Amino acid sequence: MRALRLLRGYVFTVVGIGIGVAGLVSLGAMSERIVRFIEGGDRFVLGQISVAGRGMGMGTGFTAGGLLPAATIRAIAEVPGVQAVQAQIMLPLDPSTSQFMTLTQELVMGVDLSVPTPNRHYRTLPVRSGRFLRDGDRKVAVVGASFAASRGLEVGSHITLEDEDYEVVGVLDRMLTAPDRFVMVSIADARAQWVAKDRLLRTVLASGGMALTAGDLNTGAAVGWRDGQDPDAVAVRIKERVPGVNVQLPSELSRLLRQSTQFFSALLVGIGALAFVIGGLSLANTMAAAVFERIRDFGVKRALGATDLQLGREVLAESLAVTMVGGVGGIVLARGLGWFIDRYLAQAQQLFHFSPRLLGGALVFSVLLGAAAAIYATARIVALSPAEAIRRGA
Amino acid sequence: MLRAASVVKSYRAPSGAAIRVLAGVDLTVKGGEIAVVTGPSGSGKSTLLNVLGLLEDSDGGEIWFEDSRVSALGRAGKSRARGRYVGFLFQSFLLLPSLTALENVLLAARYVRRASAGAIRRRAVELMQEVGMADRMDHFPAQLSGGEQQRVAFCRAVLNDPPLLLADEPTGNLDDANGAVILAALRGRARAGAAVVVVSHRPEAAVGASALYRLRGGVLETP
Repeated sequence: MRALRLLRGYVFTVVGIGIGVAGLVSLGAMSERIVRFIEGGDRFVLGQISVAGRGMGMGTGFTAGGLLPAATIRAIAEVPGVQAVQAQIMLPLDPSTSQFMTLTQELVMGVDLSVPTPNRHYRTLPVRSGRFLRDGDRKVAVVGASFAASRGLEVGSHITLEDEDYEVVGVLDRMLTAPDRFVMVSIADARAQWVAKDRLLRTVLASGGMALTAGDLNTGAAVGWRDGQDPDAVAVRIKERVPGVNVQLPSELSRLLRQSTQFFSALLVGIGALAFVIGGLSLANTMAAAVFERIRDFGVKRALGATDLQLGREVLAESLAVTMVGGVGGIVLARGLGWFIDRYLAQAQQLFHFSPRLLGGALVFSVLLGAAAAIYATARIVALSPAEAIRRGA
Repeated sequence: MLRAASVVKSYRAPSGAAIRVLAGVDLTVKGGEIAVVTGPSGSGKSTLLNVLGLLEDSDGGEIWFEDSRVSALGRAGKSRARGRYVGFLFQSFLLLPSLTALENVLLAARYVRRASAGAIRRRAVELMQEVGMADRMDHFPAQLSGGEQQRVAFCRAVLNDPPLLLADEPTGNLDDANGAVILAALRGRARAGAAVVVVSHRPEAAVGASALYRLRGGVLETP
């Protein structure tokens, strides 16, 4: 009861701290979201050797190359050190959409399920409901979490891709990386969609002028290496022994990815620093102001015999309680705000990631900073004589 | 109980010049006595009471509580001395607005625990009953009249049975009836053995006083 009354006396302080922490946590959650995206991409590219045909193709996929015919895939599989090669197709879901901003690009990904997924870091993708694709599946799809949320899809739902009906057999867990916006289908279905999307390809195939078969329609391949092999060395070997391919060294691709995301990394640091400074200053200022407001009470308590130590202990306990309540309130506010924005304003994209380390860190930070500010203000007040404190607080 | 010798105190004016408020005050008040200090506004009465009660430091001189030269103590020692020896009654009551009347009274014992919590609470309730505040114990200061607030402040001042009671214009914000109640309560404390110092510009404060002083030019004079 007394604790509740104490908090009621600090209501504006609690609200002020809550808003400060909410700002800190919200900005931090956006940073965490981007970090997870970049880390996820990095982990992906380091788990496989990505190969594409040399030249200009659809401009999609990780390597943006030309066609990767079946014969080339077979040749790659023969290179010493290679364990498996999985043909893949990545197509923009909507080709009329600019390919530039690929962070939010929705993609159709076709995978050759007769080959186990070679990516060492993503042997299987986590399925939230239903199942993943199986070899021999046709006209079924597994969709990413954001893709499903934006369209209200669940297992058993149907979607239309290039005028064909697909049944959703699985929904992936939210991964905070590219697969959240993927529609995954069998490679045969992806090839059919590619042909349907690409008028030039249809014309070439119909003309019979080129010796192309359906198996040649691949935008790239994921290559796995045998245990004990150096992936970069295997990639170099593929480059040397198989003509007409673009091969990305995993380490090189990782470096390129990190380079291309340098802007975001800098942005993150900026956002984090701003959140730290603004949230921290707001919190410390609110807490210190709350203590300074009680200068007269402190004077009275010292007149009644309170020592500096007793007052310090009292203020510390109160400030811990107040910042704890304000901090938890701020976290709840930030989570509510994040949920609302993700749900209604971000078209089912997840813009915020409230990781335990962020929430725990924000709480510890706010409690420690609040306590430090309160102790600082108390030290300033007790430096005055009790009579002066009473006079100033009058 | 209280002895002050050659107490001096100056303040610094905005111009930087020193304004001497107390210029060698000597005062002795024994247990059971009431000393009343009068003087015009701005003569330094409140400063004298603050210095005597260790609420601010003097620039020179000595202050003794019983056999203890408290003016020589450090910050913590002075705090403990205040809690042990002194009860304060202020013109503006100085109750904590977030606490109920009873909690305000109990605050006096928070930093000077001499008895069990139960005994302290019983004593606080008795005191409030004595001053007619039994049905106001759960009220907050804002819900009390000025007279009621001063009665609560009086209970707080005497909860620990301090041997010295310092009252700064205790009736300054009260009507005559409430002022009379508080002055009677102060005389009661003196009868119980406490040394009481009252500064006031009201003549009725001097009724029943053991000694009457006038603060003029920074020194105490007997009229």
